[in-house]
Amino acid sequence: MCRNFFSKIVFWVSMPLIMSLMIGCTATTRDISPDETIHYDESYDFSDKNAIVNDLVESLVNKPPLVARFDRPVIIIYGVANRTSEHIETSGITDDIRQEILESGKARFVSKRQRDDIAAETDYQYGGNVSAETRLQRARQVGAEYMLTGTLRSIKKKEPKQVRLRKKTLQYYSLTLELTDLQTGLIEWTDSAEIVREASKPFIGW
Amino acid sequence: MVNIASSVHKLKSACLLLCLLSIAVSGCASGKLTRARDAFYGGQPEQAAAVLSVPEDVSSRDRLLYFMEKGAILHHNGDYQGSTDNLLRAAALMREQDIISAGQQTASLVTNEWLTDYKGEYAERLLVHTYLMMNFLMLGNHESALVEAKQALEVYDDTCPEACANDFFTRALIAHCFEALNEINGAYIEYKNLAELMPDPSPVARKLYDLANRLGFDDDAERFSKFLSESELNRRKRPAGEVIVFAGQGRSPVKIPHNIVVPPSIRFSFYTYDDRSPYLPPPSVGPLAGSADIVTTDVGEILKASLKERLARILVKETARVVAKEAIANNIDNDGLEILIRIFFFLTEVPDTRCWQTLPAYFSMIRVPLPPEAGPIRIKGLGQTVTLPEIDTGAGNGSFYHYYSIRNGMGPVYGAGP
Repeated sequence: MCRNFFSKIVFWVSMPLIMSLMIGCTATTRDISPDETIHYDESYDFSDKNAIVNDLVESLVNKPPLVARFDRPVIIIYGVANRTSEHIETSGITDDIRQEILESGKARFVSKRQRDDIAAETDYQYGGNVSAETRLQRARQVGAEYMLTGTLRSIKKKEPKQVRLRKKTLQYYSLTLELTDLQTGLIEWTDSAEIVREASKPFIGW
Repeated sequence: MVNIASSVHKLKSACLLLCLLSIAVSGCASGKLTRARDAFYGGQPEQAAAVLSVPEDVSSRDRLLYFMEKGAILHHNGDYQGSTDNLLRAAALMREQDIISAGQQTASLVTNEWLTDYKGEYAERLLVHTYLMMNFLMLGNHESALVEAKQALEVYDDTCPEACANDFFTRALIAHCFEALNEINGAYIEYKNLAELMPDPSPVARKLYDLANRLGFDDDAERFSKFLSESELNRRKRPAGEVIVFAGQGRSPVKIPHNIVVPPSIRFSFYTYDDRSPYLPPPSVGPLAGSADIVTTDVGEILKASLKERLARILVKETARVVAKEAIANNIDNDGLEILIRIFFFLTEVPDTRCWQTLPAYFSMIRVPLPPEAGPIRIKGLGQTVTLPEIDTGAGNGSFYHYYSIRNGMGPVYGAGP
């Protein structure tokens, strides 16, 4: 009688435990919106990229010189230098900036990245395989009026060593963009977006 | 009565099985790593890389060692991208392993440290970033090299400010990563930190003198000018190009086990580093010997210092394990079972001798300014004289660097230009 009762208790205690373990081990996926803000830790992620790009593009298109220009000046992007302590693909930032400015209709771009491909295609068209009527004309490319450059920086601060169960980290990121007039060398616009985040993680896990 | 006898029998079987399993696991975990190391030092580095084809080849507890060993092997094979991929995974794993696993620590209290994830000695953790910096420089990716330099600085500050203080090679690499991207403030700070750590700052005096002049630090420029020759000081303009050689020599020390047995069954196990290479003098450069700067790290010295820094923690853990095992054995009423458990505890008390074994015994960074009339550069003292390929000294505007990585007696010289 007592033994039966004990067996039942063991069964009813262990079954939910086993079930919860099995559920925990099941792989799950879910779709999330790219606009949703999600941070797993203090490091730079796609939510930061979106926030930084939105802030800076808004400033760029709503301040001089672009706000006063209606002829869609041509810009060339020379990339964002990564001066953080993380491996961050900054071309993703410049791609998004270009896309948003193009969508705003305030400027146009020439592509530095595609120059070699354009030259190769031009050479091909003049190589004898393309008819004279349809091949492109040389020396018709548009020169850039402005150059867009930037620097992504970070400062990391950790809590001093002491007896505790969690350790906190303070992470600071800043992206500074500059728009330089290629003719005069003057910096016509500059702005920066900043992110400061505190994260903590436990010292002990299972 | 029958039930008790049956339970004891089952317990005995379980203990025996656990014992065998733990011994077997210790052996399996390092099997492929041992074969890869043997092939590497046996002059077959390609085969060494092939032995470690996928991370699943080794136990998950030795995964960090897998990435470290494979990263080093691929670097010395000239596959810098492959080496980078593996070492970036090692760096990511080190960050994940920051959290102490309560489960593994509890299990290791009644068995041994082989049941825990290998986390690397402090110096090994730093050397992951050292290799990554070299890889990115060899690949011409200065920006990523600087990212690694900053991560190496974090390891210095957080983990091993004292144990790794004599890793002059890594410090010089960090300073160079700043310098190569024209971050001269950062470069100056790092070269100055290095000069303060070195017994003789002559190998970095030239850099410090130039950078101090560029930054307008006249007092410092004068201070470092004392280390330079008259001809160096009178030179109006330094050559824009530099040859930078990363030279690895010998074989780093490995951990060897030691035991102290207190009868009847207490076994206290520990390990020390044992040298695998004799003292090797730093390489020399000809014919431009006078103008070359050489910074060397004794890898064995920083590994031993790292172990020494952890010594107190190792002793506490070892003592706790001995006490825990004794307490468990003493609380068993059945004499036969107690003897069996004591035998199990005695056999499983195996010191954790895991370590990164494909590291060289010495790392040297050789910098040779490239005057326009520079002929072929010869590096001596790597078991052979290595002649670097001729370089076009007129290449590039401003500063440019040609990088080479050499490991003594380990195949061809790999180079990368601007």
